[in-house]
Amino acid sequence: MATLLQQLASGLVLGALIALIALGYTMVYGIIQLINFAHGEVFMVSIFAAAATYKWFIPESWENTWQIALPCMLVGAVLVAVVLAVLMERFAYRPLRNAPRLAPLITALGVSQMLKEIVRLNYPDAKSAINVPRAFIDEPIIITVPGGTVVLQATSVLLIAVSIVGAVILQLYVSRSRMGRAMRATAQDPDTAKLMGVNPNRTIVFTFALGGLLAAVAGVLYGIHLNTVDTEVGFLYGIFAFTAAVLGGVGSIKGAVIGGFIIGVVKTLGGQLLPGGTGYDVVWVFILLILVLVFRPQGLFGEPERVRA
Amino acid sequence: MTIPPGWPILGLGLLYIAIAVAVVLALRLLWQRSAKALADKPGMLRPIAIAGGVLAVLAALLPWVTFRFNDGPYPDLATLQFFDEPWGVTGFRLFVLLLGVVAIAAPFLPVPARRVERAIGLGLIALGLVNTIFPLISGGGFGAITAADGAFAFGGVATLVAGWVVATSAKAGPLEPLPHWNPKVPRLLAYAVLVVSYVVLLLVVAWMLDAGTDPDGNTNTYAGPIFLSLLSFLGAALGALHAFGFLGWLTALSERHRVFSIGVLVVCALALPFTDAGTDYWMTIAVNVGVYAATAIGLNIVVGLAGLLDLGYIAFLGIGAYIAANFSGAAASALHVELPFVLVAVIAAIVAGIFGAIVGSPTLRVRGDYLAIVTLAFGEIFRKAAQFNIGGMTGGANAIPNIPPINWFGRDFSAPLTIGSVRLPSGVLYYVLIMVLVALVMVIFANLKNSRIGRAWIAVREDEDAARAMGIKTGQVKILAFLIGAMLAGLAGAVFAHKTSTVAYNSFQFIESVTLLAAVILGGMGSIPGAVLGAALLLVLPEKLRDLQDWRLFFFGLALVVIMRFRPQGLMPDRHRRAELADEGADGVPIEELNVPDAPDGSTAQAVAR
Repeated sequence: MATLLQQLASGLVLGALIALIALGYTMVYGIIQLINFAHGEVFMVSIFAAAATYKWFIPESWENTWQIALPCMLVGAVLVAVVLAVLMERFAYRPLRNAPRLAPLITALGVSQMLKEIVRLNYPDAKSAINVPRAFIDEPIIITVPGGTVVLQATSVLLIAVSIVGAVILQLYVSRSRMGRAMRATAQDPDTAKLMGVNPNRTIVFTFALGGLLAAVAGVLYGIHLNTVDTEVGFLYGIFAFTAAVLGGVGSIKGAVIGGFIIGVVKTLGGQLLPGGTGYDVVWVFILLILVLVFRPQGLFGEPERVRA
Repeated sequence: MTIPPGWPILGLGLLYIAIAVAVVLALRLLWQRSAKALADKPGMLRPIAIAGGVLAVLAALLPWVTFRFNDGPYPDLATLQFFDEPWGVTGFRLFVLLLGVVAIAAPFLPVPARRVERAIGLGLIALGLVNTIFPLISGGGFGAITAADGAFAFGGVATLVAGWVVATSAKAGPLEPLPHWNPKVPRLLAYAVLVVSYVVLLLVVAWMLDAGTDPDGNTNTYAGPIFLSLLSFLGAALGALHAFGFLGWLTALSERHRVFSIGVLVVCALALPFTDAGTDYWMTIAVNVGVYAATAIGLNIVVGLAGLLDLGYIAFLGIGAYIAANFSGAAASALHVELPFVLVAVIAAIVAGIFGAIVGSPTLRVRGDYLAIVTLAFGEIFRKAAQFNIGGMTGGANAIPNIPPINWFGRDFSAPLTIGSVRLPSGVLYYVLIMVLVALVMVIFANLKNSRIGRAWIAVREDEDAARAMGIKTGQVKILAFLIGAMLAGLAGAVFAHKTSTVAYNSFQFIESVTLLAAVILGGMGSIPGAVLGAALLLVLPEKLRDLQDWRLFFFGLALVVIMRFRPQGLMPDRHRRAELADEGADGVPIEELNVPDAPDGSTAQAVAR
């Protein structure tokens, strides 16, 4: 019982992380129907930015007080990720907005490759994994359950809380605010939105920036939770996050979060309980994905694909 | 409190970026201003082009670097000492010289001068960039072009300026319309033109592959820039030829005499081992190109024709390879039987086809990008299954090594071949085999595309609901696309297994699927020669850029972005698709693409009308 709960907890943590990244995928896809493969790399870059901020950009006296260090890391990561996401939109995707549909996909893969290589070759020692400081409460939370104890890192709790709160805020923002309305309008029909006084370019840039911000938050939390990072995590988590977005129904915020949690839990529990061991954990995730999509082609919370005129 | 060490570096970095951005913005402004000022002054073409051309000629004779690098002198001794012998211009300096001369001559000749000047200008800029950036990296900073005593190697900078000026001259007046001359020529003359063109193509390809190899067979230290310089030059030359409408004419000719040109192309491809590029190394790469080309053509059926995005396609190649490995009699295989290769290839194709149909079955319900992620999932499941040795069939992490080479009539395919007195490199028989296979696959694809099924695929791609309304059984048609595409991939996989002699799960990662998809899209969706070209580019470029070492993957990504930026329809777009895009007009298609010429027999018009 205790082991199961422990695994469930680590599955939820993984899920929370995937959910935060999936939000970026789902928003960008929702608004311009682009699979932004480079989003995972934005996440990866933001982890490196957080580590760099801690190591080189804050005075040593701050480093031991996480209450100061963590916000600084967050600021650094968010700045880098948002600037990156905006530049990406402006120079890689915007020129291709009217190109054949698959062209931006190849651009995204190219951008992803470039980002990975830039970090790998220029960040000191990034050719192997680097350390990220644990800038948060150190003591784990120990919960006693029947048959043993469940140990939770403080960062685990933070991760789950942030992803849920973040998703709720985002959902409220998109459904209530002026900019959120502009986003939904642009997603539905950019030309009509333009007639109604919405600036589609600015809205799309804003969406990318928002996605970058969430990726940066995920990146910082990843860094302080796992304390190590290499340049491959972007691709790995990018694939999971995109899968989560599709599982939940691309374009749906609720779907992305729930899809993320489902994937995290299935991957962790599947690797422990199902035959084949941890080696096959990814396989269970993808089998579940295929089954869900075959029986619900639009994902769990997505709208059925409309026939475009 | 001391300032943390990151800030000064960051400040300096931002300063550099700000300077770079300012320079780019200034250049852009200058470009726009000059274009505007010149727009109604066609008379300015000659003076500007001559100025640029003369500058380019001078730049070819100027020094390019200030000292002899540790790795050896930069190509063609382009150092300050070069002035001892100013007329011995070779290599990239010869390219700069030639382009400069043409830039001067073009405005006085009855040619579409502005288009020619534009191509030459861009070529010069590319030459200047390659041969300025590389010495900077290799020579350790700006010291490579500025010496301590104030000497300055102006060559690169002068070429950049010259290229800029030449490109500007193309802005004097509107670009000439692209000529579409398509004279009726006698059959024999057409044949002769085709043969000569394809032979030239073969020689150019061999030249490119061989660029950067010294006469003694070793790779030159500067193979990368030598190759890129050649590429820039050839790009400019091609652009100039295109300006005459020559390429369009050649395409029309080869389409009119399709069977003949395919024959000549196959013969030319088979002649590659006889050229300078006929080394063991290039034979291995060429076989890989063949394998990927055949697979990419299969993927082209799925993505290019039927419009179903597939992100896990490498799995079918892998299935074919594992089947072949298991029937090869290799010690590590599960079956320990050895069947003749032809039979194995057929089995591999059939099994891969069955898996294709299985992977394709969700298409009955799942559409668009959702389908893409389903195929990605299948690809990852295959890789994991292979990694953990499912059913003992894949060897798991140990792979299946020591697969015996194909053996026909007592001839070992991996051994070198001697015809008369010519010794051909080892692997040449595989090369012949895969080339024949690719030719076969191309013929299959071409016939399928123009068949009832092919038109059904295109209809499904354009509008599935309308296709269904027209009586097309969309479900069957889509699964058939997966089935046939996967069979082609499985066939290629069988050859792949024997050639590499080891089949390991990590040959079939997601990035390989991406490479295949990139090959299809780079070449142009639905285009047969495009898929082959794309596969060749994606496998040969990283090899030629090897001495950029660490940076080659970066430049690979950059190349993808740049090609998609300037040619989103692919390098060799399919004629029909081009015509379809033309209807939409506004979709970012350059105006010149819009006047698709009809072949005199009206084949395009027919195809559209059908």
